[in-house]
Amino acid sequence: MLGLIYNELLVITGRWRSYIGFIGISILMPLILWGFSAGEDSINSEYTSQLSGSFMMVGSIFNSMLATYIIMNAFWIHIPFLVTLAAGDSVAADGASGIFRITLIRSTSRLKILVSKLIATYIYTASLLIFCAFWSLGIGSLVLGVGDLIVIDKGILVLEQGEAWLRMVLGFSLAIIVMWMVATLCFMFSAMTNNSVGPIIGTMFLIIIGYMITAIPLDFFEDIEPFIFVSYFDVWLDAFKDPIPWKSIIKKTSILILHSIVFFKIATVVFIKKDIKT
Amino acid sequence: MILEIKNLSKSFGTRKAVENLSLEIPEGSVFGFLGPNGSGKSTTIRMMTDLIRPDEGEVFIQGKSVQKNHHKALGSVGALIEKADFYKHLSAKTNLEMLARMDGIDFSRINYVLDKTGLKNRGEDKVKTYSQGMKQRLGIAQALLSNPKLLILDEPTNGLDPQGMKDVRDLIKDLSSEGITIFISSHLLDEVQKICSHVAMIRLGKLIMTGEVNDLLTEAGVITTEVSVSQLDKAYALLQSIDWVYQTQIVDETLRVSLKKNHISDLVQLLVQNEIQISAVIPRTSLEDLYLSKVGMENIL
Repeated sequence: MLGLIYNELLVITGRWRSYIGFIGISILMPLILWGFSAGEDSINSEYTSQLSGSFMMVGSIFNSMLATYIIMNAFWIHIPFLVTLAAGDSVAADGASGIFRITLIRSTSRLKILVSKLIATYIYTASLLIFCAFWSLGIGSLVLGVGDLIVIDKGILVLEQGEAWLRMVLGFSLAIIVMWMVATLCFMFSAMTNNSVGPIIGTMFLIIIGYMITAIPLDFFEDIEPFIFVSYFDVWLDAFKDPIPWKSIIKKTSILILHSIVFFKIATVVFIKKDIKT
Repeated sequence: MILEIKNLSKSFGTRKAVENLSLEIPEGSVFGFLGPNGSGKSTTIRMMTDLIRPDEGEVFIQGKSVQKNHHKALGSVGALIEKADFYKHLSAKTNLEMLARMDGIDFSRINYVLDKTGLKNRGEDKVKTYSQGMKQRLGIAQALLSNPKLLILDEPTNGLDPQGMKDVRDLIKDLSSEGITIFISSHLLDEVQKICSHVAMIRLGKLIMTGEVNDLLTEAGVITTEVSVSQLDKAYALLQSIDWVYQTQIVDETLRVSLKKNHISDLVQLLVQNEIQISAVIPRTSLEDLYLSKVGMENIL
């Protein structure tokens, strides 16, 4: 199995499309960090103006922690899109290019091949998020410095630097689980077709529709919200609550993992029965 | 028998691609699988290699069912299905290493198969720099990787120039001499006749006949006779209406007439009676004639 996963990683790293996410992050993050650095005063005053009535603020609250917290909003749409670029290719591209005619005729089972492809996609997905964390937290610390993290949500939460690092690790870990579910959904579509673009469009369509449903304050939509996987995408935000709502985190991640299992099961059934005609 | 196909059927929608097909392929043979385009050859081969699931029937390789025991049945099989496709951005060697990892084979075998297919000096080159002929040879190399007892080749000479076709033919003869059973599909009857010991012919997904090439040619007694005549068009038109003539073609100012051997004298007599002068009559026997005698002119390959 390790050999098969290594094969799939070779294929992913050999495709130019796989680098779009990394290139995009490498271009955008320095710009964002530069923008934060240049506009630190205005961001700082805007952020602290909400607190000035209750607190006396000394110094700057703006640092790599706060910048990362703001950048994490990319987890809603941007990062899922980058994830689908590799996940959409994972099965469909082999079908379209005729590679299955030399791989599926071997003694290795289709299930093993599919599992190795999914694990490689997961590794790619996690790498993308870790790369994002490297830029925002790693390089960001060099550019913007480090310090306590102040989170303004339904109240004010001040996380001291050491605690903030742990919360960031938890936040990114939960975001990886969210993105794995996105990857599995796209993977399922990829197993159904020989076209890489269809799975990307299909996945993003479902995510955007899900966001729209959860955002519209109608009774009917609120009733069906628990059944929409997008409703649980905000689990990474739970990492920045106090106390950490572990019950909520476990519930949300369980639902996301369950969705991933169901999507992979569907992909397996479809792929194993699929006639390879290309 | 190394390969047994039992009552194989497959439909795509309402179209029956393969219908109740049964075949037995003897160990050590070079088995030609013939049929016109769209006759169901590729569908049959894809079912043999588990790329397509049959609606009915089963394929057994060394007694193991491909459909029920994929891992064991295909462990001793190498196959090249239609044209060879690889990861173009990777080298031939890397592509073969990936497949060797899948098969659990030592990488030392890669140099052997590259050498065998004449690609040893180009192994490090990316596949996208390969010509069609080289890709096809690489396709055969990947099929040989698992040291197969049965090699399945689907139209292996497609897209190759005459030299490339000869290279593949020589390679098949060489592999056959090593004891590998070879199952080769083609619509090029002349090619098959040059290398095959056994054949099966299918049309519209149904088996027409199967057996040893020499036995079939002897039994059928069908030959192609080359006839040089004075009035080519008149002779051609005349022979179109004769029921014991299976096919007439004009090739290089010569008539090629397919008929049973005992009708050659009738042919000569007929042409003379119609005041057509004959300068030469050269009887030849071929698989093509045998095929035409079985499937009729409407299915000329």
